[in-house]
Amino acid sequence: MSHSHHHHSATPRLDLSGWGFLPSFLMTAGGLLSVLGLLVSWKHGVLFEFGCSWLLAFMFFYSLAIGALFLVMIHHLSGAAWSLGPRRFCEHIASLLGWPLVLMFIPVGLFGHQIYQWMNLDPATNNLVAAKAPVFTIPGFWITSGIFFALLWFLSSRLSSLSIEQDQTGAPSCTRKMNFHSGWGIVALSLLLTFSSVLWMKAVQYQFFSCIYGVYFFSDCAWIALATVYVVSVILYRQGALSRVLHEHCFQNIALLLFGFTLFSAYTEFAQYFVVWNANMPEETFWYLIREHGNWWTLGLVLIFGHFFVPFFVLLPLKIKTNFKVIVPVCILVAFMHALDLAFNIFPAHRSEGYHLRWIWLPVGVFMFMGGFLANVFLMRFHSHAAYPQRDPRLLEAMGMNPNSINDLAPNTLANSQP
Amino acid sequence: MNDKLYGIMAEFDSPAAVLRAAKAVRDAGYRRWDVFSPFPVHGMDKVMGLGNSLVGWVSLLLGAGAFMSVVGLIWYANAFDYPLIVGGKPMFSEPMTFVPSYIMLIMGGAVGSLVGMLAFNQLPRLNHPLLSKPRFELASRDKFVLVIGVKDDKFCLTKTRQLLEKIGGNAVTVVEDED
Repeated sequence: MSHSHHHHSATPRLDLSGWGFLPSFLMTAGGLLSVLGLLVSWKHGVLFEFGCSWLLAFMFFYSLAIGALFLVMIHHLSGAAWSLGPRRFCEHIASLLGWPLVLMFIPVGLFGHQIYQWMNLDPATNNLVAAKAPVFTIPGFWITSGIFFALLWFLSSRLSSLSIEQDQTGAPSCTRKMNFHSGWGIVALSLLLTFSSVLWMKAVQYQFFSCIYGVYFFSDCAWIALATVYVVSVILYRQGALSRVLHEHCFQNIALLLFGFTLFSAYTEFAQYFVVWNANMPEETFWYLIREHGNWWTLGLVLIFGHFFVPFFVLLPLKIKTNFKVIVPVCILVAFMHALDLAFNIFPAHRSEGYHLRWIWLPVGVFMFMGGFLANVFLMRFHSHAAYPQRDPRLLEAMGMNPNSINDLAPNTLANSQP
Repeated sequence: MNDKLYGIMAEFDSPAAVLRAAKAVRDAGYRRWDVFSPFPVHGMDKVMGLGNSLVGWVSLLLGAGAFMSVVGLIWYANAFDYPLIVGGKPMFSEPMTFVPSYIMLIMGGAVGSLVGMLAFNQLPRLNHPLLSKPRFELASRDKFVLVIGVKDDKFCLTKTRQLLEKIGGNAVTVVEDED
């Protein structure tokens, strides 16, 4: 329980109704599978299977945290009240960009030689690697990654700690500081997510060029974050933790944004494809040619329908957006498709003939481990703070009491809302 | 009833008052009535039983039509009527058609929204009976106006007026239909 002493700050502990064991179970079982995967892939001389699986899971949760940080910033910059309810848990997801995701990143760097072909090439004989020096060197990789994490850690922890500080003090200066950090932060974030996606994901095939890659990655970050926000909001709404600050129009807005980013990510992905298709230059087309072979072709079709057409048409009608029974499955589909989309980016570099499905347990195991670990960190943070900002200036509006129309309400309505 | 009438209008001072009045009018069984306010009133759509607008379907129809017709045009021009090799590309390929078709889809959707909105609102029109009442203009300032139409089955000059007065309507006025 929270130890805050002012009126309605105590967060009731989530009633996970028997599911509370799940994160730790996933962590243990997934950890065992990961270790097994490491040994088996080492024994078969295909350590990249382990490295790429780890990179896939890392990029998935990294993109989720980036998307959550983006949502927090956009909330501050737009001055919206409706998004106040989901803001606190978004801050917790975003602040996974601190030590938890740094820990999860270390194996990516350690297995860099298995994941990134460029690490094994001599710049003296390879112009494409030489042109990217000094970033595309081993120290350059670690230093650049360190800078990304340092800035993301600072941004996410500032936005989170100022918000929590305001729970105690109610100081308007906290809101002003959060606005300030969101202002420069959103510019920094756009650059950081672009550079990091290029360095960690696109560089799996260092020969590839694509100017829109960062935008494409960003749209998927927001997409997965919105799907997660919807599901977590539904759970917390049902549990009563956020029922005072979440209303029908909040779910409407989240689903609307999810719909928008479904379209936007299809747009960016198609834009990348179209430019490569149209220019028809071998140094770019090779990236898509690999992905037209083996089961990558099937996966490409799965993505066209599962990543775009299905969510697009399901989310299209107005009234559906507040129907939990429809949208929650769509959100699960979104998470699944996002993972497949990242796999479509990462794996074909090493498996140009198609993915060997007998290895599927390995990425599943790494996902279980990382998801369980990060979920545990998230729950620990969620339980030690109030479920939503307690003294934000927009709280009254978020609770559905427009200060401008309060005089219209019958006096007893107001009296009832006082604790 | 009198064919020269449009309906009866009443003014309210606040969103909450007009919301309460709307509930009363609904509960009294009226069906053909409308509310005019300077800004959207939360919950009014539910009280009035307003469903989703049909404009989206017009947008979808025109958008999809425009998309398909441009795909058809490109196929007809490039692959059927006058096959022409450009940049070593196939005569017809989906990526090639997508950009112009997509732009025309947006165009069709936008035109569909505009035309559909105007059609469902019965616009454009030169005049409206309510505009003959100077106080009706207050509905875009600080008053909330509720109008019960003469076409409503339950409309009765005296009883409807009494109802509007009873539920707190000010300046209850009969609106004539000049057409």
